[in-house]
Amino acid sequence: MSHIVFKNFSFQYEAQTNPTLKNINLEIKQGEKILIAGPSGSGKSTLGHCINGLIPFSYHGKIDGELLINGKNYHETSIHDISGEIGTVLQDQDGQFVGLSVGEDVAFFYENHNVNQKDMFTGVKASLESVDMMAFIDETPHNLSGGQKQRVSLAGILTTNTGILLFDEPLANLDPVSAKHALELIDGIKKDKGSTIIIIEHRIEDVLLSGVDRVIVMEEGIIVADMHPDELLPTDILVNAGLREPLYVEALKAIGVTISPHDAISKIENIKVYKENVIQWFKNAKTQEVVERKTILKCERLDFRYYLDAPWVIKDVSFDIQKGELLAILGNNGAGKSTLLKLISGIIKQNKGDIILAGESLNEQTIKQRSRRIGYVMQNPNHMITKVKIFDEVAFGLRNAEVPEIEVEERVFEALKVCGLYKMRNWPVSALSYGQKKRVTIASILVMKPEIIILDEPTAGQDYRNYKEFMGFVNELRKSGVSVVIITHDMQLALEYADRAVVLSKGSVLRRAGVSEIMADKALMQQANLRATSLSDLAMLVGEEMESAFLSRYNYYMGGLNHE
Amino acid sequence: MSRSGSLYIERPSIIHRLDGSTKLLLLIGWTAFIFMFMDIRIFSIMIVLGFSLLKVSKIPWKSIKPLTYFVVAFSLINSLILLLVTPQYGSELSGSYTKLISYFGGAITLETVWYAVTLSFKYVSILPITLLFVFTTHPSRFASSLNRIGVSYKVAYAVSIAFRYIPDVKEEMMNIMHAQEARGVAFRKGDASLVKRLRNFVTILVPLLISSLNRIEVVSNALQLRGFGYEKKRTWYNRRPLTINDGISILLMTGLIGLGIYLKSQLTYFWLFY
Repeated sequence: MSHIVFKNFSFQYEAQTNPTLKNINLEIKQGEKILIAGPSGSGKSTLGHCINGLIPFSYHGKIDGELLINGKNYHETSIHDISGEIGTVLQDQDGQFVGLSVGEDVAFFYENHNVNQKDMFTGVKASLESVDMMAFIDETPHNLSGGQKQRVSLAGILTTNTGILLFDEPLANLDPVSAKHALELIDGIKKDKGSTIIIIEHRIEDVLLSGVDRVIVMEEGIIVADMHPDELLPTDILVNAGLREPLYVEALKAIGVTISPHDAISKIENIKVYKENVIQWFKNAKTQEVVERKTILKCERLDFRYYLDAPWVIKDVSFDIQKGELLAILGNNGAGKSTLLKLISGIIKQNKGDIILAGESLNEQTIKQRSRRIGYVMQNPNHMITKVKIFDEVAFGLRNAEVPEIEVEERVFEALKVCGLYKMRNWPVSALSYGQKKRVTIASILVMKPEIIILDEPTAGQDYRNYKEFMGFVNELRKSGVSVVIITHDMQLALEYADRAVVLSKGSVLRRAGVSEIMADKALMQQANLRATSLSDLAMLVGEEMESAFLSRYNYYMGGLNHE
Repeated sequence: MSRSGSLYIERPSIIHRLDGSTKLLLLIGWTAFIFMFMDIRIFSIMIVLGFSLLKVSKIPWKSIKPLTYFVVAFSLINSLILLLVTPQYGSELSGSYTKLISYFGGAITLETVWYAVTLSFKYVSILPITLLFVFTTHPSRFASSLNRIGVSYKVAYAVSIAFRYIPDVKEEMMNIMHAQEARGVAFRKGDASLVKRLRNFVTILVPLLISSLNRIEVVSNALQLRGFGYEKKRTWYNRRPLTINDGISILLMTGLIGLGIYLKSQLTYFWLFY
């Protein structure tokens, strides 16, 4: 029996002039595990909203065609009935955690359905056990990590006993290690309960590696592919839709391998059939030469803790930033990355140690004084933007510093040109996309002519097209002589763009080296709770001791391809 | 304030074990009782009684000190303003007129000064029971208590949601502030004048508002998807059965209200000390 059937289904939001979903035909069977992928604005989230009933019951609009859920006509039910058929885990782990404690949150569905307390307690316990969170039953959400909150949300959905579980970008806010755990957990539940699993994601590689039955690719409201990953991966469908293929697939294609659907490439162990091609390519590939640079900022033996009796958050951290380089600070959540950044920008002050910028100690300088030389771009551009007009937003810092208005205009225009926003200078900020807003925040920092720009998780939550565009832009900036520090847990981002990296774990520096060397150091990766990418698996075809060389040669090779 | 955004302090006391709804009724009853009078003798007794109850609840003085001082200071300022704005109100109320200080156009009477003192006592006498309620009622139990005394569960849950997201919003506010500080906006003492700093605080409202609106959308979706608001009634994970102590407390409170009504018929409203 079919669980979900879309027949010639279209949907148009009330406020919009064009349909967001166009003529969708899709069938999802019981027990299937489906990945729905697509770039931002492709309609994949809208499709998810249609499945869980937020459309049309919460977001209104015009529906054409038919949608049957477990045989029932969808329009004639209510969101309440649909929530009995489909359980949804949303992207925002904080927003959907409505309880004041773990147990309370899990019990929420029971409470709303007048289940008595005795059954409630039993059900909550069972659900928490199946996501391995029973030990946290009395915890408040603030003491949980993103991954743990997601587990709690999942437990809450399990109490509903629905046959279909829908995950809306479940990996968006998770670090790679937590993402892997989340996918393992989802698979465990599918195995136990035989649930139908629908995952909406643009982080395709992670989901595909956990194994799916079918991938639905969406682009501009249309389904452009509906096939098994083994059939999908040899094609160009993902790339054309602006999505990133799994790295090993991208690499194989880049070095000239023709992939056949029969090779069942969706299982990574099957790459061994291409072993000869990879070795051949490796022999001929070149390595990038190391560029000598001057040191601009030095951190020496920094110690920091929030209170006198608190544990050290930063312990004996030393590293340097060189002029015109892109330095990655790598580490898992809680490693102290953000704290380190706050120390450098002066939001907090170290208990011990020195920060020296171009030979001058910053120890006594306030955040305001440092802000002219060290620019700090937050992860979420919405946290930075306070003005209505783009021009004013970019001019904000200069006006704070009481720079004469004539100079303000000149410098703002220049920064806007560099960031490709000059034509939009009089637009309201609200008219911009997320990626463009991100650029505005960079422009507003660049305008101060800083020597160092710190970017906190610059590509989090962006699809591949935006990622590539944004990082290309950052790379250009760096060539103009600005030093860029990127804080991230995305190893691929670091490998592709960073000259060097500092690995942070539990507040201490584990290693300072090139990214390819770090990725090849398995013990280090494990200790820092970082996750290697599938490029490492490809490198293994050449030999374990060659991993670092392979990665750096491949990176150089790809850099060459991209510039052609 | 704890990270959960509430002021709740866990202690093994009989008052902690009372149901939230009982404590809420005590608070309402106590306040109603106080508002029946304008008599410093009654207020003094209630202040002593109230602070004794606080002692029983084992809430450390350190935690309630700031709030206590704030309320006392607030009452004093309030009384002072009252003296200046209506310098003869006490005389109008009591019908006797004892001139204390005269200034051009009018005079402050002794009765008004007494009235202001009594009023300060009145405010302070509501303080201990409020503290008791706020510090000994777990936020998780709060919503179910409201619902138990007849408030619609949708309204009651809104309170719980507020408790849930206060710390998140606070954290977000800090983030936004840091981002602005890093762009040279002054929030700290010494960086700019007070007026300028206050104006700067206004600038963080825009991003805070936008992100809060986004959050509201997510939260309301999450609530709907999990069946909130469909049934007329709901059960509560955190509700506990009422105990004999709850019954005794309510009885005592009823007695107090009865006593209040009796006293009110016996005493004049505004008691003068002479």
